[in-house]
Amino acid sequence: MDFELDDDQRELQRAVREVLDKECPPAYVRRIVDEGHDPTDLWDTLTGLDWPALALAPEVGGLGMTWVDQAIVLEELGYASAPGPFLATCTQFAPAVHQVGTADERLRFLGPVARGERTGTLAFDEGSGSWDPSDVAATAVAGEGGWVMAGTKEFVVDGDTADEVAVALRIDGELRLAIVPGGDLDAEPIDPIDPTTRHARIRLDGVRIDDDRLLGAGDATHALRSALEESVTAVALTTVGACQRILDLDLGHVKERHQFGVPIGSFQAVKHKLADMYRDVERARALGYFAALCIAEDDPRRGRAAAMAKASAGECQRRVVQDGLQLFGGIGYSWEHDLHLYLRRAKVGDLHFGTSSRHRRHIARLALGGS
Amino acid sequence: MQLRFDEATEAFRSKFVAWLDANLPAPSTTGERPTSSAGVPSWSRAFQRRMFDDGWLVPGYPPEHGGRNAGLSEQMVYFEELAGRHVSRSLNPQGLGIVASSIIEFGDDDQRRDYAIPILRAEITAALGMSEPGAGSDLAGLTTRAVPDGDHFVVNGQKVWTSGAHDADMLLAFVRTDPDVPKHRGISALIIDTDTPGLECRPFPDLMGPDHLDFNEVFFDDVVVPRRNLVGDLNDGWRICTGALAHERAMLWVLWSEGLDTSIADLVRCVGDTPLAEDDVFLDRLGSLLIDAEALRLLGYRGLARLQRGLVAADQSLLKLMGSEGQRDVALLALDALGADALDQRKGTSVFQPWGANRGDASWFDRFLNSFAGTISGGTSEIQRNIIAERVLGLPRG
Repeated sequence: MDFELDDDQRELQRAVREVLDKECPPAYVRRIVDEGHDPTDLWDTLTGLDWPALALAPEVGGLGMTWVDQAIVLEELGYASAPGPFLATCTQFAPAVHQVGTADERLRFLGPVARGERTGTLAFDEGSGSWDPSDVAATAVAGEGGWVMAGTKEFVVDGDTADEVAVALRIDGELRLAIVPGGDLDAEPIDPIDPTTRHARIRLDGVRIDDDRLLGAGDATHALRSALEESVTAVALTTVGACQRILDLDLGHVKERHQFGVPIGSFQAVKHKLADMYRDVERARALGYFAALCIAEDDPRRGRAAAMAKASAGECQRRVVQDGLQLFGGIGYSWEHDLHLYLRRAKVGDLHFGTSSRHRRHIARLALGGS
Repeated sequence: MQLRFDEATEAFRSKFVAWLDANLPAPSTTGERPTSSAGVPSWSRAFQRRMFDDGWLVPGYPPEHGGRNAGLSEQMVYFEELAGRHVSRSLNPQGLGIVASSIIEFGDDDQRRDYAIPILRAEITAALGMSEPGAGSDLAGLTTRAVPDGDHFVVNGQKVWTSGAHDADMLLAFVRTDPDVPKHRGISALIIDTDTPGLECRPFPDLMGPDHLDFNEVFFDDVVVPRRNLVGDLNDGWRICTGALAHERAMLWVLWSEGLDTSIADLVRCVGDTPLAEDDVFLDRLGSLLIDAEALRLLGYRGLARLQRGLVAADQSLLKLMGSEGQRDVALLALDALGADALDQRKGTSVFQPWGANRGDASWFDRFLNSFAGTISGGTSEIQRNIIAERVLGLPRG
């Protein structure tokens, strides 16, 4: 067991931080939040640096780096509250295609992702908020020389902008995955609490898909569970990153801000809040990287580890968002201050892909011998 | 990052497992329990001596001190194996973990021969004289006075919360030897035999019950201590004191981890297939505690990895905080969840552990109370939070 980044990983972390400091500073995030700026320019920069290819397999043109390397990128994307297609394309679409698809299908749909030509997402949940395969009810039936879908997908990240949408649906009761061109779908974006993370509702009713866009063969429940473990871990890591940003902002504030003639960071009531925030960030980061390591090595503990990563990230944001805002006092309550750019990202991280409580209950059932 | 230890480390583990299989005393012989943290039954003393003699007591030490010069990863798997079997190396933990290790690190050869090695071989037991009525969290404010007088010191004052002192053969006591300098610079460490005239131990019961005697008040009335019992340099005791708390610190979290894992396992067993197993509120809280336990282990491993990279493992306060508060939270959840089923003080909640101090008969309420020993002793949770805020997060001292 060696639970610390190695020198190459530290270097990757520095490089990623440097790029995002330059390309996605608070002023850039503010343009997204304030003006609805389209983040395609940032995505172009990141694809130019091959970021989408980092963790994809060499067979599809990826760089074959480990999931731990990807975890580093994800944490930094959260730290920067970076908008854009990375999260949905690389941690939702790509794992689903990889887990369910044949070698040819992987090459067909992930090759363009590796080259930075196409974006993707995963349409999975249907309103329960569980992202659990057993809740998928959308269907496809044979017709029109292919398949015709029925149902509605909710909370699809980048659902109205992704080039390809991987849709989980049932055919004769079996869970399957179809890759649908985004342009064929009726997608309605929701008004987001965090404009750097956009969701849409997708209506599938009557949309036709070609037979060769139905991936793999047979029931994909197990494969999609594995894929979702990656998605869930990725959301957890971005949440940890956003929380670390809030903690850093708070630490800067309480060291600078003077009241009663001293920095407010010298008050024990303030110190103890920050110590607890630090504890929760460290706890969630440890579990996030453990899940990444389990996924990288396809360890049997990966499902439990992913649930723990997501649950602990949720617990972390709960404290860090709340106390992080409180410690800033009045200035944190202003629109002008950058704090809320990161509070939003941190909170969103808990709300989608299963809340903290849902994952905690799953973990407890595993311990009690259930499922 | 790696999920597994390397082959050499696993080979070390196998060797230790084989030794344990061959040498752990039969449970039928370990029924006698300790009378205090320095009142150790003979079976435990014999086992500790065997560990010392075979180089398994403190693997990181050289053979003459009961070890085999093991590296950090090897020490880690050693502790994993002990924890997995609930084996206490010594039922005089402060003797082994703090007193003997401080003497080995800071003492001279005579002190090592006369005190450290006998403690390690369980021939004698030791207590640690730190806290005083007026010096708890502010330990450096201690006032027990030792005045040099020729070839000895004369000690006057009082210690309190001195675990096991009434059963111990010696104390390692921190005393003020220079009252005229800033408080951290006037402290020295003395070995004091408990049968020295003028030294009186008065045990007093703790919250666990009127016959649960571990704490002591220790009074010093013109106690004469030979100069040769000074550990380290005169007025250099604070360094030993902070070093004493840091001994084997990279591994201490394993005990917290074992305690938390055990508490959770006991709760899971108590719940079994009762309706609680389907109760969403219970499951939610249990899930969080399971995460605490996993995070504690991972952060412990991270600290180890940092030490191996030559970095400082600054996480000890964090680990102590998580381990101690986690155990409190397990007991709280048990009380909340079991309700009236937790009323019976005699209802055992844990499994008897033949190679440790546990009797298996503590109620959840006892375990709740007992968890405060963790959140108060060795630096309260509040002090740990101050340490994190100041030393890790760089906040100004108040």
